[in-house]
Amino acid sequence: MEGEALVTAAKFLAAGICMGLGAIGPGLGEGIVGAHALDAMARQPEMANTLLRTMVIADAIAETTGIYSLLVALVLLFVV
Amino acid sequence: MLEHLGKELAFRFTVGGVEITFHPVVIAVALAVAVVLVAISLWLRRGLPVNADDPPSRRAVFLAAAVDLFENQLLGGISPRLVRQLLPFVMTLFFYVLLCNWAGVVPIPYIVAPTQDLNVSMGLALLVYAMTHYYGVRSKGIGRHLKGYVEPFPFLLPLNIVGDLGRTLSHGFRLFGNILGGAILMVVAPTAMMSISAAMVPVVGSALGWAWRVPLSLILNGWFGLAFGVIQAFVFTLLAVAYIQVSAD
Repeated sequence: MEGEALVTAAKFLAAGICMGLGAIGPGLGEGIVGAHALDAMARQPEMANTLLRTMVIADAIAETTGIYSLLVALVLLFVV
Repeated sequence: MLEHLGKELAFRFTVGGVEITFHPVVIAVALAVAVVLVAISLWLRRGLPVNADDPPSRRAVFLAAAVDLFENQLLGGISPRLVRQLLPFVMTLFFYVLLCNWAGVVPIPYIVAPTQDLNVSMGLALLVYAMTHYYGVRSKGIGRHLKGYVEPFPFLLPLNIVGDLGRTLSHGFRLFGNILGGAILMVVAPTAMMSISAAMVPVVGSALGWAWRVPLSLILNGWFGLAFGVIQAFVFTLLAVAYIQVSAD
């Protein structure tokens, strides 16, 4: 392959790897958060409102690294 | 493939060697959303009963239910004296972000969700950042607010500052990334499915792709446009409330 095509191929590959690996952590984290929140809501349905709010905040924090990898993938695809 | 994201209509100026880019579509949609919000609130206010003894109108009941919902869902966990102060800001933030997200599903070319532009979402995050300092200084005084940065130990000052900035950055990037990711998926998925269908199915492949494209676009717009718009507006507002509360306590 020529230099230009090689760079393009590496860009797409890097974006794919970045997004694919970067989505594992947030996926696991949000799954754990959601599972435990559901557990707690099933035990104490009257706490559901408070739990939902806390769960969304925890989800948002767990999601942050996923958002960063999405940004890196976008930069690789469209900017670099 | 992604030309319609509105970036090609940009105006570029160079001021003193620094290139400044304006996206007129984004600015226009963001202002239009504000105008729509003002119009809706004026229309809702017109139906309010004049005297307290009058029977409540439908709009008054709707407004009371909405305020109640926000007090319970978004502001339920924070100290009671802050609830009334924060409620107008929080409701405005929620509905502004919500309508900005929903603007992305309007099927007019070049109309995009303003929040998928980094300038808009980071601007909103910076607004929330300024509000955290405002409420921190207001409820604790400037000395105790600044003292919060050298706690628990003075040598953690850089870490506290970096944590503050990183929090704001991820607050803005979260909204931007989610909305932009949804918008890209809404463009890429139907196109990819059409080419896959044309390559896999021998004769009727491209016709099948067109037939699939309409329901797929509808589903994607409904999920990534409408449902994710609500979720992201809720998350953005909830995090704003949490940050302000942490700073004010």
